[in-house]
Amino acid sequence: MASKYGYESTAVVKTEPDDMSLKSDKQTLLAVLQFLKKHNLKGTESLLKQEARISDDDLRTNEDKKTEVTQALAAVYKSDDDPSLYEDLYGDLKKFIDSCLDVHKVELSTILYPVFVHMYLELVYNGHEWNAAEFYSKFWQDQEEHHHDDLARLSSVRKKEHMPGNQLLENFKTSKFVLRMSRDSYTHLKRHLQEKRLSPLLTIIQDHLFIDVFDGVPRTQQQIQATSGGLLGEVDKDANKAKVFYGLLKEPDLNILLDEDDDAGEGDEKPKKKKSKKDPLLMKKSKNDPNAPPVNRIPLPELKDQDLRERAMAFREAKRRVKLDHNHLPSVCFYTFLNAYQGVTCVDISEDSSLLAAGFTDGNIRVWSLTPNKLKDMKDPDDLDLIDKEADDVMERIFDDKTACDNKLLVGHGGTVYATSISPDRAYLLSCSDDGTIRLWSLYIWTNLVCYKGHNFPVWDVDFSPHGYYFVSAGHDRTARVWATDHHQPVRIFAGHLADVDCCKFHPNSNYVATGSSDKSVRLWDMLNGSCVRIMTGHKNTIHCLEFSPDGRYLASGGADNLAVIWDLSSGAVVAQLKGHTNIVYSLCFSRDGTILATGGLDDSIRLWDVQKIMAEQDTEVDTTIPSNITVNDSPSLLLGTYYTKSTTVLGLHFTRCNLLIGCGPYLAPS
Amino acid sequence: MASEKESRVGSVLSAESIKVIAESIGVSGLQDEAAAFLAEDISYRLKLIVQEAEKLRQHSKRTKLMCSDFDTALQMKNVEPIYGHTNRDGYIPFRHASGGGREIFFTEEKEVDLQAIVGEPLPKIPSDVTLKAHWLCIDGVQPALPENPPPATKDHQKQEILDTSLKTSINRPHKRPHPDSMKYKHHYKHKDTVKLKNLTTHELSVEQQYYYKEITESCVGPDEQKRSEALQSLQQDPGLHQMLPRFVAFAAEGVNINVVQNNLALLIYLMRMVKSLLDNPTLYLDKYLHNLLPAVMTCVVSKQLCLRPDMDNHWALRDFAARLVAQICRNYSNNTNNIQARVTKKFSKAIQSEKVSLATQYGALAGLGELGPEVIKSCLLPYICMLGERIKSVNEGSALNVDKIAAEHLKKQLLKYLPGVLKSFHNSTETVDEFNVAYGYLGPMMYSMFIQKEKNLAATTSAVHSLAAPRSSIQLTQRPAQIVIQQQPSTPVPPSSPFLTPTPTLASLTSRPLSSLPSTPTGIGQKFVIMSQARPATPIVPQSSINTVVKVVNPQQSAMAAANSGAAQKIVVIQGDPKSDDVSVSLRAAVLGGAQSAPLVQQPVTSSANSGITGKETL
Repeated sequence: MASKYGYESTAVVKTEPDDMSLKSDKQTLLAVLQFLKKHNLKGTESLLKQEARISDDDLRTNEDKKTEVTQALAAVYKSDDDPSLYEDLYGDLKKFIDSCLDVHKVELSTILYPVFVHMYLELVYNGHEWNAAEFYSKFWQDQEEHHHDDLARLSSVRKKEHMPGNQLLENFKTSKFVLRMSRDSYTHLKRHLQEKRLSPLLTIIQDHLFIDVFDGVPRTQQQIQATSGGLLGEVDKDANKAKVFYGLLKEPDLNILLDEDDDAGEGDEKPKKKKSKKDPLLMKKSKNDPNAPPVNRIPLPELKDQDLRERAMAFREAKRRVKLDHNHLPSVCFYTFLNAYQGVTCVDISEDSSLLAAGFTDGNIRVWSLTPNKLKDMKDPDDLDLIDKEADDVMERIFDDKTACDNKLLVGHGGTVYATSISPDRAYLLSCSDDGTIRLWSLYIWTNLVCYKGHNFPVWDVDFSPHGYYFVSAGHDRTARVWATDHHQPVRIFAGHLADVDCCKFHPNSNYVATGSSDKSVRLWDMLNGSCVRIMTGHKNTIHCLEFSPDGRYLASGGADNLAVIWDLSSGAVVAQLKGHTNIVYSLCFSRDGTILATGGLDDSIRLWDVQKIMAEQDTEVDTTIPSNITVNDSPSLLLGTYYTKSTTVLGLHFTRCNLLIGCGPYLAPS
Repeated sequence: MASEKESRVGSVLSAESIKVIAESIGVSGLQDEAAAFLAEDISYRLKLIVQEAEKLRQHSKRTKLMCSDFDTALQMKNVEPIYGHTNRDGYIPFRHASGGGREIFFTEEKEVDLQAIVGEPLPKIPSDVTLKAHWLCIDGVQPALPENPPPATKDHQKQEILDTSLKTSINRPHKRPHPDSMKYKHHYKHKDTVKLKNLTTHELSVEQQYYYKEITESCVGPDEQKRSEALQSLQQDPGLHQMLPRFVAFAAEGVNINVVQNNLALLIYLMRMVKSLLDNPTLYLDKYLHNLLPAVMTCVVSKQLCLRPDMDNHWALRDFAARLVAQICRNYSNNTNNIQARVTKKFSKAIQSEKVSLATQYGALAGLGELGPEVIKSCLLPYICMLGERIKSVNEGSALNVDKIAAEHLKKQLLKYLPGVLKSFHNSTETVDEFNVAYGYLGPMMYSMFIQKEKNLAATTSAVHSLAAPRSSIQLTQRPAQIVIQQQPSTPVPPSSPFLTPTPTLASLTSRPLSSLPSTPTGIGQKFVIMSQARPATPIVPQSSINTVVKVVNPQQSAMAAANSGAAQKIVVIQGDPKSDDVSVSLRAAVLGGAQSAPLVQQPVTSSANSGITGKETL
């Protein structure tokens, strides 16, 4: 699969061992030589060269290669055209598009932004500083509102010397801007360009743009709006063709445990059970979902007795779940952090809603118990020896009652903690920070167990797999990494995002990972082979939170564009755009039955959206390969309720198993 | 807005800045071209780092960019962070200085006396982070808890005026409109262009009815303690908007009846109630002004407000109501309702008329005076001669005692408002005669007043000058704020003048208390108690976040009688910590919001239990 849909940018950590070690050896030697040369240690240098049998050529080629590459990259913009020509060309293009029929106009006008960007860069590269500024100031306001942030960044580049090293420019240079348009519009454009023989324009379009033509009617303004906004435009049609097994894994058989527990919970060892009362819901769950991946597609940790008991418990609680829909809205219990000033940066609530972990700017993490059960330390090894290991309540007995308290402090990070994640069995906590590390903490002995180093830059997000053992992290280094708790090296590195990866989330079946980035795209990665199976554009700014629907088919994302978007993973299309928030959306949560989506953010409000209605109105029969067939639901009636807090940012949202909504955030005294 | 954004986009550090910076690190004689090149490059690098810092801000889920974000951004770029810049208060005040043809902005670095720091008692440990749970919403309905925001914000109430459909959602948040009925309504609207006004019912819950009863009874009842509590509640509690029409009606009706019965005490109570409603930050009174304004205006200009006009102090009521009118004008006057113009017209008519009683003229004078110097200039000064004639005729003729008292008060009132305005018309070289010509009978009085003021001004400028200096030069020494204010008690000047010293630094600090000091001190035996917390860091920064609570504590029990009687008054000025908001508000918030405002510093507030009219002003 990887080879079929492989992206050059997608790296899988799976290189042949011999080859790799050889290569890396040589690389190291070269690096050492360079170091020696730099520090003028000639004797050692020549000695080493002799021993390692490395010629000067090797060294040089290595350096030259680098410079060559950068030169080649920059030279993309080399042109000898008259700088004043650009303004006219761009003006002409605009005029042509304005004169088109309305049907084509919307589609064609998407070409203006990339052309503008590349023209500006060409001007800057060729040293026409004044012309570039003129060109920019004349046309920047014509661009769509959501491009303005990128444009502001672009405009700070005013000289050729600024160009190398700028991330944004690198993206524009190395990748093509993708546009999708109907065949009619495309031929229209082509004819115009050929007739007028606008050579510079043609070169730009050929070199930097990729126009993906589809057969069908042109799209409407709204349809284009729904998928535009990506740093490099939209996604070409082949990107989302791979099949995604979005179904849930088959649940392990819980009947034994369930029945036992129903029998007044007596005797765990009782082997026999009655098959009589089988819940219809349970039947459905154990049935095979055609969209589910095979259970052994990804090796998952084996379930322990404890886990099974946990699941049985969850199942019983789920039976008491409140049914939610537009007439039955949930209750919201809000946990406010007081005296936190500006300190709280992230909040995570355990799956069973018993623990709450919060990260702070000073690098501390605090864990609170949301139930009357206090947090306790495990006993000393000596005392542990004395415990009867066969006892039923062994999990209770191992804890020391003397250490009980409401909250525990975990100290270790050297910078702001940006995310925390509690493992499904509540034994571990993960945190990631400014200092580039991810730390694994034990919630039994309340201490740091492992420090995972790999991201060299701030790590923005970390998330435990729903089955434990694996976790995913995302960071400023533009990668997302999957780790196994017992390996200090990542097991997968997902590279492909064009800017910071700001958030990541495991799919409920642990086979996929979703990431959201500052390049304004959401990607879905396959755990099995590390390939990118979905690229979804439509957000207009950085994406800050992701959440899968309980059935695994839909993905919701929220970001700095004040939008929440719901995506269909089967096709990669936008299903709904939820507009209402007035500031960054930082938290999302689906109700346990998937009928309601709650969003919260910096505008101090929690909003509830009618997912049931979205699903009902979604047209599943339509052929999604033709973009103009896709409809996006952005009706304001989807908003079911808005609940304002008292100057309290909503950083975390969580539905309990009984569908009570928990929100949390720090209270900030208005200044 | 577009232009604003544009300038942000294209801005570059100036070459001069680069030169100044270069000088400060010991590189002198930087060439112009080099500086210009550096400026451009540094601007670019700075922008890159700010963009990174912005990213960090977003991930820290803050709305404010902090110095630490910038430091971390530098670290991300492998650059040594800049040490020593912190913004504990959330902002760094850049100070501006000019001199030698250059203007610079700089951050202040004061010399720190280590001895003092070592000697200081340890600061209190800030309270620990705690987690508090409450119901934000129960089955889709937000309960009215102190932890939740008030059901309708001021903006909401503002919108409600324009859109009646909003009203239902504000007043009855408990019932979500049924989706089907919504659809139906929508359908209806499309079909029929006639816009139907929704019928809204004003139902008050039992608790609200009880509250209304308690408040109104306390406001006009005999128990002063209860009254101040009730007024406090009206002034600060959020979520009163549903009962607002009733409170307004209560006040308006009350005025109507009590004016006829000449019940001064009740009128005062009602005005205080109106004041509390006006002061409540969560209430938007625009809709009820048609009820409110006539009632308040009545209390300003009514011919008779008390049973014995020669004995009772109805003047204070007029003053107080005049201030209310001014407050309403300030807050609610706009192009549509044109309140200020209409009010001014009414008052000036009264001033110009020969027939109205002197008491009415007194009220009109107060009303105009409170509206500010512009109004005084255009509507009052031209008629001073006329007023003078009238006062003269009363004083010299065989008028009633009542009228004589009224004339006396009228004169005092003129004394209060005119000096500040006169300054812009006259200079100290003018003589009494010129004043006589201009103002007739009142000329000599106004002249003496004017001259005294000039003298006073000269005395204070020298002191103020040294304070004003640091703002315009690079000199960094600052003097604590107390100096200026402390000199006031020693100089035996007319008591209102300390607040009128027209110095540049004090201007904004002084001009406002004038209009809102509840009772104008006229007696001489006054005591100013000024408590200023040791705040070495802040020079006088007008409009800064220093909070000053001005309280007039009147030792006498009777509400208004003492205001003008010249009895000893105490003015207590409490300077609060800039971080905490209005002290009393925060105290109240501590009560209302539970622990939410626990970290706020509690300031000593003099008890207002036995005060007469108590006003507060926050600077």
